[in-house]
Amino acid sequence: MKLLDIENLTARYNASDVLKGISFSVEEGEIVALLGANGAGKSTTLRAISGLVPHVSGGLRLGDTSLLGLHTEAIVRLGVSHVPEGRRVFPGLTVEENIILGASNRKGLQKAVLMREVDEKFELFPDLVRLRHTLGWKLSGGQLQMVAVARGLMAKPRLLLLDEPSLGLAPIVVQQVFDIVTEIRRQGTTVLLVEQNANIALSIADRGYVLETGKLLVQGTPAELWGNSQIREAYLGGASAA
Amino acid sequence: MAMFLQLLFTGMGIGAVYALVSLGFVLLICAANIVNFAQGDFAMLGAYLLVLGLNVFSLPYPVAIVLTILLMAIFGVLFAGATYWPLRFRGALPVIISTIGAQIFLENIVLYLYGPVPQVLPGVFNSPGFTVGGVFMDSQYLTILATASLLVLLQYLVFEKTLLGKKIQATNQDKEMASLLGIPVVFMILLTFAYSAALGAVAGVLVGPILFVSVGMGGSIALKAFAANIIGGYGSIPGAIVGGLLLGVAETFGAAYISVPYKDAFAFLIVLAFLAVRPQGLFGEKVAEKA
Ligand SMILES: Nc1ncnc2c1ncn2[C@@H]1O[C@H](COP(=O)(O)OP(=O)(O)O)[C@@H](O)[C@H]1O
Ligand SMILES: [Mg+2]
Repeated sequence: MKLLDIENLTARYNASDVLKGISFSVEEGEIVALLGANGAGKSTTLRAISGLVPHVSGGLRLGDTSLLGLHTEAIVRLGVSHVPEGRRVFPGLTVEENIILGASNRKGLQKAVLMREVDEKFELFPDLVRLRHTLGWKLSGGQLQMVAVARGLMAKPRLLLLDEPSLGLAPIVVQQVFDIVTEIRRQGTTVLLVEQNANIALSIADRGYVLETGKLLVQGTPAELWGNSQIREAYLGGASAA
Repeated sequence: MAMFLQLLFTGMGIGAVYALVSLGFVLLICAANIVNFAQGDFAMLGAYLLVLGLNVFSLPYPVAIVLTILLMAIFGVLFAGATYWPLRFRGALPVIISTIGAQIFLENIVLYLYGPVPQVLPGVFNSPGFTVGGVFMDSQYLTILATASLLVLLQYLVFEKTLLGKKIQATNQDKEMASLLGIPVVFMILLTFAYSAALGAVAGVLVGPILFVSVGMGGSIALKAFAANIIGGYGSIPGAIVGGLLLGVAETFGAAYISVPYKDAFAFLIVLAFLAVRPQGLFGEKVAEKA
């Protein structure tokens, strides 16, 4: 069943369209990678889903619900959790407070349940345990990414949007983060993953789409995408298939 | 010694009023990145509402005070709707200009309704006060100090110990991210405006019986509150409190030992000294970037 269904979606911030009519879908339980060069419109796609782009038209549905015209906060309450580019961890709040606030979309959540789930996140990211009461601005890039993902998961999302989780991280940390994304999916969360690093993204994705200046160029399984030599050269960072 | 303590007591009392207005000022800087020139008018309106409640409607003092603060909290939301909301995507300057407009508007409305003659407010307690060790503890100054301390404590607890406080802080730090987490950002901002106006009203209600209630009182309190903000550190909450107290004490001592007519000048001398020597203020934050 399609969890996210996008049809002929256009989006713009001001005069010119950044997304020029893209269509794709994400099935329940999948990891789908959205690839493309810098400026292709990957982040804009995620921002359009989350209601952060002022002018959006076309079809945009989560399950049976159209997200078009809804406020960001309403979209989050429907179960879309967006871990944006740059992590955006609150600098003046502690790691624990950041993670707790991730559940702000869930009304009437009991304190005991909330804290149990927070503890689960620290089990998922053991590196964060000793940083529990550290302020956000003191964290390294990898730690920020872990907090951002942990916070995003607190929303109990049906769909998790991840924007370039590998950006600026050391390879070993990238691997750690992606192991966790795989684990998140295993636990039943659907993931739409935006990456410039096609290698790592396609290593865990079920399917991928390649975006070029606001249009979808091609789609397929990782094997199919690696098999397309033109695509491989132009968009997947050369022949360095994993 | 008794003279020194007496001046300290009086200075802290008036400083607490500056601190409350300065606090409201800082909260709006944090929540909406606006410098609210009408902040002092929240105090002025609060004082006039109390005059209205007591003198025109003959309400009992506690009822009149509670009503005044509630009405001013609601007024804070309306104020946000008029000055901040329509201009919120246009950057800081247009909103600042619109608060200047609001200041002129509010002061002239009150001038039209009440005229230029200052109004008199009775103190909270009938008893004038008592003497301890040669220091006269004026009941109104005591009330000011107690109320301000309580409010500061309460605010600290709400901001640091509750989920609501964390959501307000998150909103202040990154509005878009806060909304991505499902935090009702608009509600948090309006709540801050309501609270900021209520703080101003408390200050006005408390200082009303000490000064005369006049149209110009808002402007002079706002200037002191802004000065307190510079001394404490622009946008700093502890800075607003400490800066306000410091300013109140400094101008009281200045008036007593140096010159009464130049009382107001001391505030600005201190500000100039800080700007020259420690521009980031006591609890320094990045002044240059924000100003
Ligand atoms: N807030 C914005 N306002 C105006 N234009 C924007 C904004 N954000 C992105 N753009 C433009 O949209 C295009 C796509 O950007 P983006 O979606 O961030 O690409 P990607 O994430 O693939 O690198 C770029 O040309 C960029 O300049
Ligand atoms: Mg991007």
